[in-house]
Amino acid sequence: MNASRIHGIVLSGVGGQGVLSLAQILLEALRRSGLHALQSEIHGMSQRGGSVHAQVCYAEGPLSSPIIDEGCADLLIALEPLEALRYVSMLRVSGALVVSEEPQTDMEGYPPLDDIYAALKAVPGAHLVDTEDLARRLNHRQAGGMVLLGMASRFLPVNDGIWREVITQRFESKGARVTEKNLEAFEAGRGLIKEPVGV
Amino acid sequence: MADSTLALGVEAVGCAAFDAGIKGAFGYPGTPSTEGFEFVEALIHQAGDGRAAQWAANEKVAYDLGMGMSYAGHRTLVTMKHVGLNVALDAYANSALTGVRGGLVLLVADDPGMHSSQNEQDSRRLAEFAWLPCLEPSTVQECYDLTFRAFELSETLQVPVMLRIVTRLAHCRAALVRRETLAPTGLGVAPKASIQDWVLIPANARRRYVDLLAKQPRLKAEAATLNHLVPGTGRRGVALAGMGRAYFGQLALEHPALAALPRLEIAAYPVDPALEQAFLAQVDEVVVFEEDYPVIEERLGLRGTAKVHGRLDGALPRTGELSPRLLKDALGLKLPDGKAAARLDLPIRAPRFCDGCGHVDAYEAMQEALAKVGAPEARVFGDIGCYTLAAQEPMAAIHAVVEMGASISMAVGAALAGETPSVAVIGDSTFGHSGLPALLTAADAGVNVTVVILDNRVVGMTGQQPSQALDQVERMVLGMGIPEAQVQVLLPVPKQHEANVAAMEAALRHPGPSVVVFRRECIQSIRRGVLKDHDRQERERCVSEACS
Ligand code: SF4
Repeated sequence: MNASRIHGIVLSGVGGQGVLSLAQILLEALRRSGLHALQSEIHGMSQRGGSVHAQVCYAEGPLSSPIIDEGCADLLIALEPLEALRYVSMLRVSGALVVSEEPQTDMEGYPPLDDIYAALKAVPGAHLVDTEDLARRLNHRQAGGMVLLGMASRFLPVNDGIWREVITQRFESKGARVTEKNLEAFEAGRGLIKEPVGV
Repeated sequence: MADSTLALGVEAVGCAAFDAGIKGAFGYPGTPSTEGFEFVEALIHQAGDGRAAQWAANEKVAYDLGMGMSYAGHRTLVTMKHVGLNVALDAYANSALTGVRGGLVLLVADDPGMHSSQNEQDSRRLAEFAWLPCLEPSTVQECYDLTFRAFELSETLQVPVMLRIVTRLAHCRAALVRRETLAPTGLGVAPKASIQDWVLIPANARRRYVDLLAKQPRLKAEAATLNHLVPGTGRRGVALAGMGRAYFGQLALEHPALAALPRLEIAAYPVDPALEQAFLAQVDEVVVFEEDYPVIEERLGLRGTAKVHGRLDGALPRTGELSPRLLKDALGLKLPDGKAAARLDLPIRAPRFCDGCGHVDAYEAMQEALAKVGAPEARVFGDIGCYTLAAQEPMAAIHAVVEMGASISMAVGAALAGETPSVAVIGDSTFGHSGLPALLTAADAGVNVTVVILDNRVVGMTGQQPSQALDQVERMVLGMGIPEAQVQVLLPVPKQHEANVAAMEAALRHPGPSVVVFRRECIQSIRRGVLKDHDRQERERCVSEACS
């Protein structure tokens, strides 16, 4: 990471997909890595299946703004392909995006999926993943979020131990099996991007 | 750093109130204030030491509960959103005259940009209106620290203190350093000598108003300890408050030249004119960054010694929330080029009813019944809650939504003007909040108005807090004077559709006031088991009393 500047992550998806809980895991992991971090979330009416987005900012020094400017984010994590496109312009030119291909089409006028995939693939730095297929293979219906987090981890200054610690704590109350499943999904996502790529 | 508490800004306020030794918290849910109450409620439950955390029927009731607790000598937190303060304004403005005994802090969450509100009114204006102090944090840690300070101030000055935050800060999550937790206060009930201060008959109120105005210099002096003049170089300066202060602080880290600008940093109101004067003496030009109304901007502008830029002269948009981008634009900083956006028309993903929500069945029955009585185009007065979603196309089932409780009164007004059928749709918690007095008026006016109460047993929109009117709605309706024959309770499920349409039709055709209650628990609250314990206890009570 570039020590002198403020880094930003944008998360997007649809109400109920777990955007905010993903953001909280990121926030915790970054903080445990000794960084200053802030998270901003906008919800309310959006809990009823509307667009939801959250942002996480981090830096080596103190931060006071929880919002990232357009064109300034380093990473976009999207749980839904249309909701990914909505936020592409938030990214800096060199920014990366990890996107689930699994659409939530329950709305008026959802564009043809092929157009959406094509538009996403045309964005440099885009990594698409078929979370539906992966979830089936992992035998874990809700694997999507953790798979994306695993992919995103390749771009973030957080070590493996801290990720495992934070994920474990997050799911502890739901039992050892659920925790294992989520760690497995995280690893699967991490494996999809071979090289760590700092941004 | 890693072992400090992680909290939202609004939670930091609740946390500080707990740590500052409140005896109780009261509020009415409203985004983005809700989590502040929920946080302190959780802490109080954990502590199990007899403190109270109570959602109230509405914001005025919450405020009055807080005043009672303060009268009894204890610190108390009252929470609401900005539009809720309008409901509590009577109590709030008068509490400035009575003053307080135990410290009373009012958390008000404003919503610039209207993320989930009907307007973007600025609560600082209502603090000024009531001649009361207002503190305005700009970071999560300040939310905590200033709440602590607010309790101290409230007790030193013996007035309620408003803590104003905005959505962006309310929903910003960050690490929090907590102080030592204080035991709940116990100053004892207001002393006998002060009884007349609390009785606002005109003779006392006149005296107390003079007292309140006499406190203003002390208010300004206390506020001055939280407001700062930071000298700089050049004759161009900035005045900053709330998120304007947070955004500017960060920009200054990235653009060191900004750190050299002379600035006026505001965290408390009323602002001392001497401080404003001292600032203006250093600059010929000022840009003001504050959230919502041009409060500081107007005051600086009136002095006429410097050119003031902000929302009034178009340097910033007149409406909507601040953002780092707006600050950059106004300061003439270059924005980086971002990634090219997709060339695809992206439709808006609007919020909608949860699958299987009973409101949908109720609206369908209502619309079909309106068609049956030959009024498919009838205008329907709606209210505030999840059911407001029906205003959107394609359902478009409600045609006016103004404020909590307005549906019933507006429908009565329209009926008195001869509009028939006149229909109001209101939720159970909104009904308890401010529908009750309106229904009293409807019963009294005796006109043909059909009041549809959508009873999902919780405050659905803000996260399924239990409704104060829980399982009481039809009894309340009868108590308001609506004849029993005109009160129906229906189950909004597809299987009952025909029967529901017929019942709605009968209500619409009735020439006097009638009430139709559609009752089915919110899907989300069932999923989370919010009322499970309550219902089990009710069943057990019923069995033991053989009322089934
Ligand atoms: S939260 Fe409850 S009341 Fe609101 S739309 Fe969903 S099911 Fe209906």
